[in-house]
Amino acid sequence: LKKYKLEVMLSVKHLHLKHALQTVCTLEAVILRSFGPEGGQVLFTRDTGQAMLSCSGTQILKALRLEHPLARMVVECVWKHSAVTGDGSKTFVLLLASILRLIHAAASKAPGVSQWSTEAAEAATARHLADKLLAFAMTELDDLICVSVAPHGFCVSSEDFTTKTQLPSCPNGFCVQALLSSFFHTRLDYVHCDFLSGLACELLGHWKFQNDTLSFALQFLNDNFPALHTQVSGFPVSSSHVIEGQVIHRDFATPCLQVNNQPVKAVVVTEYLQPKLLRRGDMLDLGCGGRVTGEKSIIPFSAWTERSLESVIATLQSLGVSVLLCAVKQSAAALALAAQAEMCLVECVSEEELSLFVRLSGVAPISDCWMIQPENVATLTFCKPIQLGAHRYADNLITSFKPCSLVICGSGEVQTEQYASAFQDAIRMLFTTWEPTRMTETTALKKPVQSHQCTSLNAHNLTEDTVCRSSDVYVLKPGCVIPAGGTFEFLLHHALLQHGRSCSASNYTNTGVGVSQILADALLTVPRQIYSHNLKSFLQTQTRVTSFTSNQPHHFMLLKNARGTTEDPEKGDEPSKLFTLDSGLESVSCKHQLLLAVLQCLTICCVDSLFIRALIFKPAAYLYSFYESKIYVRCFSLFRSSIMAAVKITHCLLHLVLV
Amino acid sequence: MSRLVKKSPSVCTDLPLDNADICNKLRLMRELLGSCYGPTGRLKQIHNNIGGRVVTTSSSSVLLPAIASSEPFVNLIRTSILHHVRRFGDCGLFAAIFCLSLVEQAKQSGLRAKAVIRSNEHLASLCTDYLKQGGCGCKVKLDLCSGRDLVALARSVVSSKPACVLTEPECVHISRLAVRAFLLTVPCDTPGSVSLGQTVRVSVEGLPVTHSAVVPGLLVDTAEDVYLSQPCSLPHPLVLFSASLAGDLSELGDGLIEVHPRVDSDSQVLSQLLELGNQVVRDGVKVFVCQKVIHPVLQLYLTSHGVTVVERLGVTLMEPLIQLTGAQPVATLHSAVQPTAYGQVGGLSVRRFGSKTMLHLQACGESAICTIILCHRNETMLNELKVTCQKAEHVLRLALREPSALRGGGCTETHLAAYSKSEVPALGRGCSQTEYLRAAEAFCRSLESVARSLEHDGGTSTIDPTHAHRWTRPSDVATERRGVGAGCCGCGSLDGRETWTSAEFPPADLLRDASVQPGVLDSFTAKLNALQVAVETANLALDVRYVIRDVN
Repeated sequence: LKKYKLEVMLSVKHLHLKHALQTVCTLEAVILRSFGPEGGQVLFTRDTGQAMLSCSGTQILKALRLEHPLARMVVECVWKHSAVTGDGSKTFVLLLASILRLIHAAASKAPGVSQWSTEAAEAATARHLADKLLAFAMTELDDLICVSVAPHGFCVSSEDFTTKTQLPSCPNGFCVQALLSSFFHTRLDYVHCDFLSGLACELLGHWKFQNDTLSFALQFLNDNFPALHTQVSGFPVSSSHVIEGQVIHRDFATPCLQVNNQPVKAVVVTEYLQPKLLRRGDMLDLGCGGRVTGEKSIIPFSAWTERSLESVIATLQSLGVSVLLCAVKQSAAALALAAQAEMCLVECVSEEELSLFVRLSGVAPISDCWMIQPENVATLTFCKPIQLGAHRYADNLITSFKPCSLVICGSGEVQTEQYASAFQDAIRMLFTTWEPTRMTETTALKKPVQSHQCTSLNAHNLTEDTVCRSSDVYVLKPGCVIPAGGTFEFLLHHALLQHGRSCSASNYTNTGVGVSQILADALLTVPRQIYSHNLKSFLQTQTRVTSFTSNQPHHFMLLKNARGTTEDPEKGDEPSKLFTLDSGLESVSCKHQLLLAVLQCLTICCVDSLFIRALIFKPAAYLYSFYESKIYVRCFSLFRSSIMAAVKITHCLLHLVLV
Repeated sequence: MSRLVKKSPSVCTDLPLDNADICNKLRLMRELLGSCYGPTGRLKQIHNNIGGRVVTTSSSSVLLPAIASSEPFVNLIRTSILHHVRRFGDCGLFAAIFCLSLVEQAKQSGLRAKAVIRSNEHLASLCTDYLKQGGCGCKVKLDLCSGRDLVALARSVVSSKPACVLTEPECVHISRLAVRAFLLTVPCDTPGSVSLGQTVRVSVEGLPVTHSAVVPGLLVDTAEDVYLSQPCSLPHPLVLFSASLAGDLSELGDGLIEVHPRVDSDSQVLSQLLELGNQVVRDGVKVFVCQKVIHPVLQLYLTSHGVTVVERLGVTLMEPLIQLTGAQPVATLHSAVQPTAYGQVGGLSVRRFGSKTMLHLQACGESAICTIILCHRNETMLNELKVTCQKAEHVLRLALREPSALRGGGCTETHLAAYSKSEVPALGRGCSQTEYLRAAEAFCRSLESVARSLEHDGGTSTIDPTHAHRWTRPSDVATERRGVGAGCCGCGSLDGRETWTSAEFPPADLLRDASVQPGVLDSFTAKLNALQVAVETANLALDVRYVIRDVN
């Protein structure tokens, strides 16, 4: 340790708020090209030469391979956020940039700044504001969203997936599709979104388990998505479809003969069918009679392996097995004997496909060929070759279970890859939307509602449609959605302003006003960018949302009206064009999590105006393990606990070396 | 560990379509591929910069892999088209030229990318819906019962590959062979779902093209002095080994075997092999085939007992041979060959093609396996001919699924352009009427430019407003009246006597006279997919805002 310590050189560099702002604004400029309805896609090549196409903020930012430590850390935060929710990576950067800008503006004109320490004071104010914002988000934002935003949306219950496939006219099923469709709009070419969201709904409808909760099904799909989809290039996207059965991405090694319709019996084999006589390191001694084996010839050994293979095949045949799924490549003799016994054999099946098969069929794989039990035999409805593009695969349908797989077509690998990753993110997004509400610590420790009753007087008039009230705190119900196109931002903006006003009226504190004002202003950036090519509709939307909230302070669902149902005949004549399903839907809980993630990232950006750059000239290996961005996060957490001015270099140094 | 290098930041190109370098590359690619299009297309020679093999081609399946670019944006378009060619085997150049000119036209029009994308998508779906309709003016129903339509379809594939260097009779000969080979792979009396057989291609260099032939059954390479058993009892039993019979024991594992000097493992293994040979001879097998190598002593033993031996068959011929003979491959050396594993050969003869001696195996009953022998004067032409035949077979198989064809010679493109112009704009979201009209104009111009790229000899391409067909006027014929002297239109269903009057859609009906069949046909399925893939790829290219290149 000491040896390395000597070779470590630390350069302390001042990072002013404006530098942080500059960095984040650069990221924002990159992201803006692919944001909103006019946004395009980004083509990038990996270091392997493989090309990829994406509209996802995370992938774009990661592909940039940025050097600036702060930028890398922001990218890391975005990545962490989108790995969980699958959504909102572009809005993340947008919000972060706009909040930073506002904080910078607020800090630079903060009163009482003396001449010599302008920057230090600025940084202190900024840090203070960032902490306040986070504190505000942790305590009050949750309730604010529940009270002022969620009632304007509505809940899509988890049963809607199943009804969708049978009744395409069912409005709620349509809602799930609209939700998916507007998600795909942020990630893919505009024209195929409706088609793909229909496909996703179909897939989800198939996978909706009988007794399990929706979130379980979504989790399952997310975990097994690689084994459940097949990418086919050379066809238009509209050829994508859902097929019955699980596709094993390997061809039959023996000719597939069967045409009979009776149930097919299958086993999973993880080892060689023909036993290997000698393992690596073993030695066979031939010719010295009686010392080890007494054999003078290799022939009996070779014959023994063949005989044991024959007996394994005979056992399988007696069990009526006709499909073998093997994890390894089998010998030519095994293939030939299996073919003679009229068994279909699939070799080199990937581990994840086998584990999915085992999980769905509920049988144990065979690892020891001498111990084959009837419990190892799965029953399939069919097993047939299927030609998808250039490859022929094996397709299985397990009787007890009706799996189905997705075939994603595109004109090239680049495109199919993009569709597949968008699909997976869509599943994550749905999972976040329908995530069962947990009473986490923050929820439990939250201040009771009474403390900010001033926020909305109408809170108690709410029906229990989207929000359920439990032990004095509001909790968002799973599956709450709201019309897309900036509605969430407008509503929250409005609510935040009201909150600030009422707080200042009740002389709560002075800073609370600033915080909610900053957040409210920052939120407006998102719709402003969405409508950046059409400012008129920005104003129209804003006016409409505001008028809704002021005219109907009570529970009122924007969408019910728009769908033209006759539940509110007296309001049916109200022009609500903007809230038709045309504009799509988005998930409230995703937005909520996004806001929290942004504010958490913000504190990291603002907390210190100093950071350390560790440069170790020797040995080189250390340099790069340090250079990973984690180190900066650790540095910052270190700094947060210490005083900004008195950075203990030695302490930090030790910390760095220990990492 | 000491060689770790810091990752360098990526190189970022903003708005690739505004980049002059990328635009130049795209234009170059369009000109290059456009010059290869059609029967009079110019040939391209491909070779690397240190010499090596020279390939002469004009076919997209050879050309596209060869023109890999360092620019990922160009590669994006290239690979998309290449995937289409691999799936459908035809219309690759059409897709490439159409896609590239769509991009170019969209850039020239100066419209918003999103507006162009939406109108392109709309127009493409209009066109595909129209093509799928029964009353579509450029679709021709194929009569699978008559060979004429099939030959016409195969001929337009063969004639569009000038690198094969075929004369007119040779072209007809090859098209007939392709159709014949295709018909041989269709099984006759199989109830239920039909699975097509296989065509094995054998190429022989140095013989004239007219020596090419199609034979039912399989031709396998064999030694010069092959021994043929007496044609006494047909059919001959056949045994097929998939394991090596060279005397190696490969399945024992990774461990070591220590052999003492007194032990002669080789002869022990050989005697085991001979025992196997003995059993096979006792069972009356006349043909002994092995995928891998056979020990020379075993070979000698078998031939001395009147068995025809074929070794090193290769894995590609295994499946056709199994289908042909009904044999099951054997891989066990220590147990007797099961009687069920033997196959049957209906006929056995030796055939010579130029320098090649081949054993001709025929099926006992009916089988869907056939071999096509392709002859040509030199290697590069032969390679192109092989590719061409493969494509023709692919196109014919596609026709089996969807028995329609489209008018070739550029007439489908001009017809579609006329159709798209006539359709009233249906306005989508985010695209105004003006934008749509201008985008539609660019779309039609791109379609027409594809049709126009068929002409390479300096002639002028014209489109008649009555039938919306494409006509060419050679440059050396100075005619004063349009239409006259132009011979016939691109697809060959109209001749110059027709008068052009109206300019309305739908164009005048051509199929009043059912006997007028176009002479040039394109595959329906392939062209439909090509159209969709081209539009999708162009839309994608227009949508790309950044190119980020990781330079590590």
